[in-house]
Amino acid sequence: MTLLDDSTPETTTRELTVLGACPQDCPDTCAMVVTVRDGVAVDVAGSKEQPYTNGGLCVKVDNYLDKVYHPDRVLYPLRRTGPKGAGEFERITWDEAIAEIAARFTQVKEEHGPEAIMPVSYLGTQGIINGLNVGDPFFNRLGATVAERTYCDSGSCTAYAMTIGDTAGVDPESLVHSRFILIWAANIMSTNLHLWPYIAEAKKRGAKVVVVDPVRTKTARQASQHIPIRPGTDGALALAMMHVIIDEGLTDDEYIANHTIGYDELVERVQQYTPEWASQETGIQVETIRTLAREYATSQPSVIRIGVAVERHAGGGQTVRTLSCLPALVGAWRNPGGGILQLPLWAFPVNWPAFMHPELQTPGTQVVNQYLLGQALTGELELRTPLHALMVYNSNPVVVAPDQARLLEGLSREDLFTVVSEHFITDTARYADIVLPATTQLEQEDIMFSWGHLYATYNNPSIEPRGEAVPNTELFRRLAAAMGFDDDPIFTRTDEQMIAEAFDWSAPAMEGITVASLKEKGWARLNVPSPDEYAPHREGNFRTPSGKTEFLSSAAAGGNFVVPLFRQGSNDHQPGQPVDPLPHYIPPRETTSADPDLAARYPLNLISPKSHAFINSSYANIEFHQKVQKPATLIINPDDAAERGIENGAVVRAFNDRGSVELLAKVDASTMPGVTVCYVGHWRSDSLGLATLSSLNPTRFADLGNAPTFSDTLIEVAPVGAGEA
Amino acid sequence: MAYVITEACIDAADKACREECPVDCIYEGDRMLYIHPDECVDCGKCVTACPNGAIASEYKLTAELEQFKDVAVEFFETFPHAEGGAEDIGPLGADHPVVASWPSGGAAG
Repeated sequence: MTLLDDSTPETTTRELTVLGACPQDCPDTCAMVVTVRDGVAVDVAGSKEQPYTNGGLCVKVDNYLDKVYHPDRVLYPLRRTGPKGAGEFERITWDEAIAEIAARFTQVKEEHGPEAIMPVSYLGTQGIINGLNVGDPFFNRLGATVAERTYCDSGSCTAYAMTIGDTAGVDPESLVHSRFILIWAANIMSTNLHLWPYIAEAKKRGAKVVVVDPVRTKTARQASQHIPIRPGTDGALALAMMHVIIDEGLTDDEYIANHTIGYDELVERVQQYTPEWASQETGIQVETIRTLAREYATSQPSVIRIGVAVERHAGGGQTVRTLSCLPALVGAWRNPGGGILQLPLWAFPVNWPAFMHPELQTPGTQVVNQYLLGQALTGELELRTPLHALMVYNSNPVVVAPDQARLLEGLSREDLFTVVSEHFITDTARYADIVLPATTQLEQEDIMFSWGHLYATYNNPSIEPRGEAVPNTELFRRLAAAMGFDDDPIFTRTDEQMIAEAFDWSAPAMEGITVASLKEKGWARLNVPSPDEYAPHREGNFRTPSGKTEFLSSAAAGGNFVVPLFRQGSNDHQPGQPVDPLPHYIPPRETTSADPDLAARYPLNLISPKSHAFINSSYANIEFHQKVQKPATLIINPDDAAERGIENGAVVRAFNDRGSVELLAKVDASTMPGVTVCYVGHWRSDSLGLATLSSLNPTRFADLGNAPTFSDTLIEVAPVGAGEA
Repeated sequence: MAYVITEACIDAADKACREECPVDCIYEGDRMLYIHPDECVDCGKCVTACPNGAIASEYKLTAELEQFKDVAVEFFETFPHAEGGAEDIGPLGADHPVVASWPSGGAAG
């Protein structure tokens, strides 16, 4: 970091370079370099020194300054003056805002109990101090309803933990050594771009790259092979791969004997999952399934890269269970570049308790999953204590949660007191009683883990906060003081003190890394073996109770659970349904076989992948990003379009019993027949018919970890003005 | 369509952008390089790599450089086998007519 020289005369241009970190909820967590001239950020670029960032950002963040200096930024606290949803506000002072919030929270607490207040947040920023857990100590002490936040990989984490434990898995940089790379339901080019050069290098060295995805994405087009699959049937393909591998004797018997449990039971279980059966479920040719299984098993080291989409259907948890079992079956873990790459986040010794402070919780406090917020607010979800106040930060639930119409109905309640801390007046902020101005990453200090690589990153602030924006940490310090919580030093910690607590610095992974060294250099690779040597499970050492890959899961005996990290550290009121301890197939709920009546009315699958130019709903209001992403579009196969008289570019209505959305049709064979695609993130206020695709998504959970089931959605599509309009 | 190479690349023969492109989507014509509109992932790394300032987002092109959007699209329509990675394809040895007929010495270099 080049420090500002105070002796520089006022008349000369003062330029400095600041080492920062991308804040977005993306696996790549880039090391950013911000150029600041006379106090104004003039450029944001990717670090050339950090190997994984490798000198580049992405379309979302390359234009970060468009966001930081956008004229629509919320710069001052605001109070609602019009009807809820109208977006009419007046400026107030921070003192007035904090006093009003504290008074209303106190009033709600006295009248209804503290559980009538609920935080609503996720990972709008994923810095350790300002991100996922920034409000947890405050709400835990308050006694508020515990927010269960299972937007992303919660079901996957439950399944993964049940199978191999909370291990980092494969180092993404080791993928250059992989001989077979199986990218499963992940569009690397749009959502994990910095991984691609390692895959491309492996391909150059002779590796085969296979993409399993209903859509022929940019990633699928660059692969050696693309295997289109019916949404939600991934588990059938993975189980049939196991069947073939076992049936044809392609297993690594020594690895299985030494480092797994439950193999005999698994052998018996997968007998039923023949390739012929899986072909019926998935729509994939039998021979393609057999070849995939053989090549995966015999091209060692082989690696499976899963994204977050693979859990988003009724059987998403068991799908990840099966995929997590596969590497041990073929001994993939023996070498660098072999195994499964899910969330290397587990390699970081993050000091979660210091940020969640679960000991402040009142035992037995009610837990509400944020997907059910609409039902919770409208009374359809039975609650011990109905909700009367919300505090939203790091999230825009109107766009990212399902059940949009019901959520809007709930947010419109006049007796509901809603606070939103934001950069912009989002679709959710329009319903706030009080809006608070939040800083962007350039205006705040933070320290970052990654869920896609093995580098810790430091975010030095590069500019002064715009207007009266404050970091989330400061917001909760002010609120805690107003509520009288500042008798506890947890609530008066400075950002510097919190950063000092971010990691367990004495853990082996942090050896040689300090706050000062991170701040100075901007990033550091965890103290783990080099990507050329990193094979963490060569000798087993899985982080399960047995220390082995558990084909037969011992953790399943405790029933279904959400990893407490996703619920403010709470282990109360876990879902708890019994879980079959062996991998098995759970078909999607919305299919012809499971629900023929529904499928007759709504014959098309809808999937909603992450956008190329937005990240969830962030950047969807920025003009440049809108141009790149284009207006909200429904991609439909030419056969399905012809059957419905839909022409390319026409406005169509996508609908089911839950809602109706107007979109522009893109008639394109990149999606399989029977499958429609709408990328997520467009704001409701920019959408035709003032509704986005979350109106169509179910609120039911997947089998494990209360994961969402966005990809388990059937719809019908009609030209606007036709059908049931 | 995403990032576009323009006039300043003609006869400049610098290939720094190709080293930077994470998806190897910058193909070599005769007098100029071309970004594959369908393969570009909009990361912008080539923009800073180019010493001639020849590359811009399609949404940030000046009026006189707008034509290079069509140049790129038409170039890859003419060479449909140019896909899946520039390194494997190698130099194509030809240009879009607009580039082929561009006066020499008229570009940065």
